[in-house]
Amino acid sequence: MMDRYTKLQMVGIYVCIAVFLTFILLPFFEMFMASLRPLEHLFRSPYQFWSDDFSFDAYKQMWVTVPLLGRYIFNSIYISFMVTGLTMIFVVPAAYAYARLQFPFKNLSLGLFLGVNMFTGAVLLIPLYRVLRTMGLLNTYWAMIVPGVAFLIPTGIWLLRSYLEKIPRELEEAAFVDGASRLYTLRRVVLPLAVPGLIVVGVAVFIGAYAQQFLFAITFNQTRELQPLPAGLYEFIGYQSVTWNEMMAAALVGVLPVMVIFLFLQKYLVAGLTAGAVKE
Amino acid sequence: MATLDLNAINKSFGAAKVLHDISLAIKDKEFVVFVGPSGCGKSTLLRIIAGLEEATSGQIVIGGTDVSTANPVDRGISMVFQSYALYPHLSVYENIAFPLRVQKMDSAELDSRVQKAAGILQLTDKLHLKPGQLSGGQRQRVAIGRSIVRNPKVFLFDEPLSNLDAALRGDMRVELSQLHRNLDATMVYVTHDQVEAMTMADRIVVLNAGRVEQFGSPMELYHHPATKFVASFIGQPNMNLIPARVAGVDGSGVMVELDGGHRMALPVASTTVNKGDKVEVGIRPEHVSMGDSGLDISVNVLERLGGTSITYGTIGNGTRFCAALPGDAPIEEGRNLTLSVAPENCHVFDANGDVLRRQAAPEMVA
Repeated sequence: MMDRYTKLQMVGIYVCIAVFLTFILLPFFEMFMASLRPLEHLFRSPYQFWSDDFSFDAYKQMWVTVPLLGRYIFNSIYISFMVTGLTMIFVVPAAYAYARLQFPFKNLSLGLFLGVNMFTGAVLLIPLYRVLRTMGLLNTYWAMIVPGVAFLIPTGIWLLRSYLEKIPRELEEAAFVDGASRLYTLRRVVLPLAVPGLIVVGVAVFIGAYAQQFLFAITFNQTRELQPLPAGLYEFIGYQSVTWNEMMAAALVGVLPVMVIFLFLQKYLVAGLTAGAVKE
Repeated sequence: MATLDLNAINKSFGAAKVLHDISLAIKDKEFVVFVGPSGCGKSTLLRIIAGLEEATSGQIVIGGTDVSTANPVDRGISMVFQSYALYPHLSVYENIAFPLRVQKMDSAELDSRVQKAAGILQLTDKLHLKPGQLSGGQRQRVAIGRSIVRNPKVFLFDEPLSNLDAALRGDMRVELSQLHRNLDATMVYVTHDQVEAMTMADRIVVLNAGRVEQFGSPMELYHHPATKFVASFIGQPNMNLIPARVAGVDGSGVMVELDGGHRMALPVASTTVNKGDKVEVGIRPEHVSMGDSGLDISVNVLERLGGTSITYGTIGNGTRFCAALPGDAPIEEGRNLTLSVAPENCHVFDANGDVLRRQAAPEMVA
């Protein structure tokens, strides 16, 4: 491949990337450093960047301090997967309809979906609370899953619709001429071609679900056993002291499964963005 | 196999009317080509026959059955798309088998049909590949394979060769003609390329601005173009059209005075023109020869192709004129040249662009 940048430009690019990455990764680094220190070192003055008594004790101790930690991590992942799965079930047919069919109020409803995204969940907490109470869903997994799905469907539709629109219409016309129904075409032709797009949308929804569950968990759920990790981390805040090092350790461990998933899916994400499945 | 009849097909997109009262009767086993410039409505017409578009009014009859409102699959048609529309995630085998899978055909019958189609199209050793691993010509054949497994009554082709390079296009033309002979099927083929139309068609439909200009065999269109549009569309290089005036009319023909003053007595039907009318005289480049008297042309550009020399120049008051002369003809750019043309080879078009029928028709190849 041709090198389109001069040396100087390359240096500039890498400097910018380094600054950017520093901003993003420094908190994680600091979390990791904090998790390695004994608690009293965290409050030492002057602040010591490097100590000789780094240890992984917090990673052991945290399971004792918060016995349900494993459960919280599982809950986080479980809720996120449920939200992602349910959202995709709703998003796929909806996005396909928006990409291909003509119906009244199509653009208006799309705009409304975008509008919904402008409200954060926080604005709607009280009405949502009432709805969930009426439906008897408070203090269940569903209290965290249902609002999660509702808030993520619009994003999913917008993302997937633009991906589906790129699939050549002629492929569907060819299937139609050969007698395939809409649903058959969706299943046999459109979705296989949209796999990279589905992964992109799935990952985006998963991230969204992972990030937003805290709000729903602390408002709609009082059952300890059902709390996801972000809410569970509160238990590290004790009456007398906050075990920051263990909290940081728990947060990192909780994020770990998601990071592993990302490492595996990253190549699909890149492939989905670069190589179109279809030659145009 | 079946006949295909179109009765008064009209199509509008909003206020824009793209097809006007198209009526055609296509015979069983005929290879008919729709040809015309881009935007003439030929693809829309094909899509209406396929059932991908709905006609605003009119009737489509295939094999004696009115299918105007039927689904594509119930019309007994199959279609080959310009982009081939192969499914990139399926193997060649599954691409060809797709229409049969839709029908839920049992696998033994399905396999024998796919193998048969692959055999006809020389794809037997390519069945396990994905479309992305095939060349343009092979992809084209897969698309055709998918269209023949269902044994449709009518095949529809939408500019299937336009994505191929020139050499491959020539080969595929021959293959398609052979396929038509082998399958004995009714085929409708859309193209903007008059060479494809001339070489493959039993009959050609020339479309212009949503109207049928003429429907006839290739040589009929060549020798007896009904309108100026058809005359200039069919034939390579294009027919020369020279402004002229009617200098006299009698029973045997029309005396015209061409731009530049040259007079010719042309044996064409003379009932619709009068002395003094403005007309245009059409002369095909290949129908002139070097002579002592006739049209005086000043040569601007000369293209020596080997067998022929294409000469571009002007006559009279700057009317452009093209002549196809023998390869070794002693011509030079910048010189003047005298060309003679036989009166019976001339076409005359009235002010509306309609032809005055030639009386001395050359022998026609059916």
